[in-house]
Formats: sequence, structure tokens, C-alpha cells
Amino acid sequence: MVDAVIEGIRERVSAAIQVNQSVGIQVPENRHGDLLEAVFNSMCRNTHDIWTFVTVSKTFDYLAKTFKESTRHPNIKFIDCISRAAGMSDNSSNCIFLESPVMLENLILEITNNFKGQNRDMDKYIVIDSLSALMIYNDPEIIREFISLVMNRSRAENIHVVSILVEEEMDSNKLIQLNDKIIVLRDSFID
Amino acid sequence: MPIKKEVCSTGIEELDMKMSGGYPLGSTVLVTGCSGSGKTTMCMQFLFNGARKGERGVFFTITEPLFKLTKNLEGFAFYDKKLIESGMVNIIDLRIISERLGLDTEKYTVEDAGALLDILKDIADELDVKRLVMDSITALCYRLQTREMIRDFIFKLGTSLAVMKCTTLLTSEVPPQTFKFSQYEIEEFISDGILFLGDVERKGDLIRTLQIIKMRGTAHSRTKFALNISAQRGIELIPLLKSTEFESLLKR
Repeated sequence: MVDAVIEGIRERVSAAIQVNQSVGIQVPENRHGDLLEAVFNSMCRNTHDIWTFVTVSKTFDYLAKTFKESTRHPNIKFIDCISRAAGMSDNSSNCIFLESPVMLENLILEITNNFKGQNRDMDKYIVIDSLSALMIYNDPEIIREFISLVMNRSRAENIHVVSILVEEEMDSNKLIQLNDKIIVLRDSFID
Repeated sequence: MPIKKEVCSTGIEELDMKMSGGYPLGSTVLVTGCSGSGKTTMCMQFLFNGARKGERGVFFTITEPLFKLTKNLEGFAFYDKKLIESGMVNIIDLRIISERLGLDTEKYTVEDAGALLDILKDIADELDVKRLVMDSITALCYRLQTREMIRDFIFKLGTSLAVMKCTTLLTSEVPPQTFKFSQYEIEEFISDGILFLGDVERKGDLIRTLQIIKMRGTAHSRTKFALNISAQRGIELIPLLKSTEFESLLKR
């Protein structure tokens, strides 16, 4: 049952991102793990595409232990915004560790540099997990400016953006409105 | 058809784009900022990337010993020891030159300043450099005893290097969190350009910034940029998120 649900989410997200430049996914906290599994599942099936996974809610170390081989694939790069700020050790060839989740300009630079020099014909994706976790460290105004800038730059470069919002962490739902498509996952959909 | 001005690339792609391709050729630019703002790294990136294009450069240090300077550089991808060995990038300790000339190391007389100026011009001429860095002009000005001497020294240095089509960067040290361009408040008036390296505080973290204050003879951006220093890419710029300014102002 769980596998079927995750597969269902994966198909829904994959279908949405193929026809939309940006997709916002609103998810309840208790299903955040399922959504991540679906996203990793999707990245692993599409390793011919280029992926940048920005993690603010879980450390890269946690993701590497949970999702193992998919965190080692050369076409999937990670940007960890929280490990260094938490004083945790950081060393991986597949992950860039940002000094702090408030250094949003550096995050944009790292995202941009990740796609530089890549084959233009390959599909490119950014996953941000999550905008609501970024709001724990930053004011809403600056996050709105940040996501607006990321989306405008991504549109120019034809890069797809998937941004996740965890319901319980959200102060406002204005952020998700910037996306071309919004998917609201509910307990009733999953259970 | 518009006349295309001759420029000297800054060594930073984004900065070149913000001022019509680079510093105006032969200009004297003040790179001002507090300690740790990235002044020396910016100047070194300017020299090494210039050397890769075949433009010889010289770096005069007054504040840091040579061994420390080169050790700090080793971590950067733009650093190439071969460019130093081949003489494309020259790093010279100005204190050693002063001692060899028999100049007082603490305070310069007008004659001392003249002798130093001559030797700097001779070195630039002999090495045929197109890029020159003085790190820092503040430390040099400290040895010049009057404002007139400072004005005269910078003016003559800039003018004679401009004739050689040599672009000069002078680093200027200012206290943190101040919007001041130099210690003696003369340096900025003699310079053709000013790059201000500062920082803004966001939630307790300091974000390095860069702003082009003036650049004579070019249409340049006046936007404030966030400045990032990384081992792989050296200095990189991206427009600073505007909401930061509001937060910083509230704190003042």
C-alpha cells in the first residue's frame, strides 16, 4: 500500500513538472517523508536528467543514510543549507555545504554553478526541500524575493523548479502561489 | 558608430559585465573595505587572470609578508605558481625596497616619497607591467606626513602608470560598518574609480557586499552585490536581495 502511494505521488509530481516550469507541493508534516521518497524515486529513474536537490529540512548525512545510492549519482547534486550552521562535519563530493541558510545569494550562486557547462539538451531540475524550512531562518519577504529570483532565472535557462512546503511550518501560503502549478497532498489522498 | 573604449578585465566575469567590460585602461581604482572584505583576493584574481591573458602584473605588499601572502593564495584555483616563476605575476615586499633605498621605514620626507615613486615607476617600466596593485595605499599614506604629500604621491603614481597603459588597483582599509572610502579622505578624489567592499548583517551572519561607487568614463551599475569567495571560483558576485537592506537599516 505504501509503495503504491509513493508511486502515485511520484507520477503526479512527474506529470506536473513535465508540463509546468515550476511546481509547488504542499504536504502535511507526517507525509513529508513519503513525498521525499517519491521525489528520490523520481530522480533515480531519471538520472539522464540533471538534478539539484537543495536540502534545508534534513541534513545531507541523513539523506545519504536514508536514500543511499541515489545520493551518490553524478547527475544528482546536493546543496545542504543546514549542516554547517549546526556545526556538523561536512565532506562529500556530491554535496555543497552552505555556511548558513540565511546566505541566500550564495545558494543562488551554487544552484547556478551546478548547471553551468551542462549539456543544454538535458532536462534540468531544482528541488527545494523546503521553502517553509527556509522561512524558519529567514523573513518571509526575503524568501519571496529569493524564490521569485530563482524562478525567473530558471525560466530563462529552461530549468524546472519543484518547491516543497510543509503545512505545519508555513506562516503564509503566498510563497506557493508563485508556482505555475500547485499540488496539495493531503492525508486523505495518502491514507 | 560608437567608439569602443579600451578596458582592462577585472578578472571577475560579473564585474566586467557591470562596467562595460572592465576597468578603463590605465585607470587608478581604489578598492576599499574593512579587514576580511576580500580586497587582497580581488586584486590577486585581477593579476592572475590578467597574466593568463598575457598581461604582466606586479603586486606591492606593505602589510603582509610574502610567505604569508603566497600561502593564503595556494588554496585558490586562480593561483598558479608557474605564473610567478615565469615572471608574469611579480610579488614584491615594498618594505624591503624601502630598506634597500635607505628610506626611513616609519615616516617619509618629500625626498623619500619622490625616491619611492621613481623606483615604483622604474619597476613597472622594467617589468613592462600592464596591471599594478598596491596593498595597501593606507599603509603607504601613513608614512607620508601631510595630505598634500598623499595627494601628490597618488596623483603622480596614477599619471605615470596611465601613460604606460598600466591599470592600477590601490587597496584602502576602512573600519567595519562604515560608509567611508579611505583613511585620509584624499585617496578617493585622486582615483578614477572606487569599489566599495562592505558587509551587511542578516540574522547575525555577515554577508560580504560590493558596490561600484565611481568609475570615470564608464556607464556602470550602482547595484549592491553579494560577494562570495570560494576556493574553486575565487570572487563571484550576485545582486544582493533587496529585503536585506531594509533589515540592515532597522538595526542601525
